[in-house]
Amino acid sequence: MPEWLNILLWSIGLFALTLLLVRLLGKKQASQLTLFDMETVIIVGVLVAGISVKLIPAPLGLVALAVWTILPITLSFLSLKYKSVKDVVQGKESVLINHGKVMEDKLMEARLTSEDLLSRLRQKNVFQVADVEFAMLEPNGDVSVHLKKDKQPLDAKTMGVNVARHSVPQTVMMDGVVMDEPLTAMGLNRDWLHTELSKVGVDPENVFIGQVDSTGQLYLDLFDDAVQVPKPKAKELAYYTLKKCHADYETYALSTQNQKAKEMYAQSAFELKEIINELEPVLIK
Amino acid sequence: MTVASQVKQTMASLKGTQSTLQSMAEIEQNEDTKELFNSSTARLDGIIKKIEDRVRELEYQEPQYKGF
Repeated sequence: MPEWLNILLWSIGLFALTLLLVRLLGKKQASQLTLFDMETVIIVGVLVAGISVKLIPAPLGLVALAVWTILPITLSFLSLKYKSVKDVVQGKESVLINHGKVMEDKLMEARLTSEDLLSRLRQKNVFQVADVEFAMLEPNGDVSVHLKKDKQPLDAKTMGVNVARHSVPQTVMMDGVVMDEPLTAMGLNRDWLHTELSKVGVDPENVFIGQVDSTGQLYLDLFDDAVQVPKPKAKELAYYTLKKCHADYETYALSTQNQKAKEMYAQSAFELKEIINELEPVLIK
Repeated sequence: MTVASQVKQTMASLKGTQSTLQSMAEIEQNEDTKELFNSSTARLDGIIKKIEDRVRELEYQEPQYKGF
């Protein structure tokens, strides 16, 4: 057998073997690899390359390969079970900034200069150390940053705004085909879908994607983008009708001469206002 | 437009919106939102009852505008 054919067969065999080994080593992405993982991967790579061009005698190489795959796998299983093993193998996370103060000794331990720290913080969009309440060096070398409360982005809770809990919309049509399972999960059926489609005047075959939100509004994207589909407005309509009714009530309350009716209108207007406020997050936002 | 017919129109709008909310409550999957829709329709019920009484009163006072 000529030498090149020999190497070809070897390489193909090793290719399949490494594919299997890499799968066994776990599902982590390159960016999540700890130093130890990286080392294992490099050594496995070097060994395979060496064996495939016969720099390393095959039996010796295969033994080394076996050690360098079985040991990391065992260790990773052990580190799932025991925190102490995990700390040794994957490294421990360390607190770099606590209560807004930089821990210089921890920085030293991690071999990070102040410049490194600043650069890592900048990558997290933090340009001032004083904004950071807490920062942690993760085992894979990433820095996680927790900002001080007044520097955190606004959310609905800090604003004191009521927001509705939206359930996930269901996709009920794809490529013109009706998906029965999501439809029935929403408690709807094909008849309902066809009624809604004929309301907006759209052929089922023309629908590329059709989604139903939690209140049963149908949102469509068509194959033919020249056709304008009216956006579902039932929620907005309900909201603004209620607002109009509220305004009507206030007018009636002002214009009527009958004292009893005046009170009734004012009371109802007040109640309507409350209902409108409660429904606003669901209907508008 | 007479007062009676205006009030009737408002009543009709309220009834329409109430049934829209009811149909949304039927489809809604989230329990909290469903509860919110249901309580709103229940409160609208009370408001509609009162305005119906008022419409009856108005019709009694101005029988020439009875009906729609």
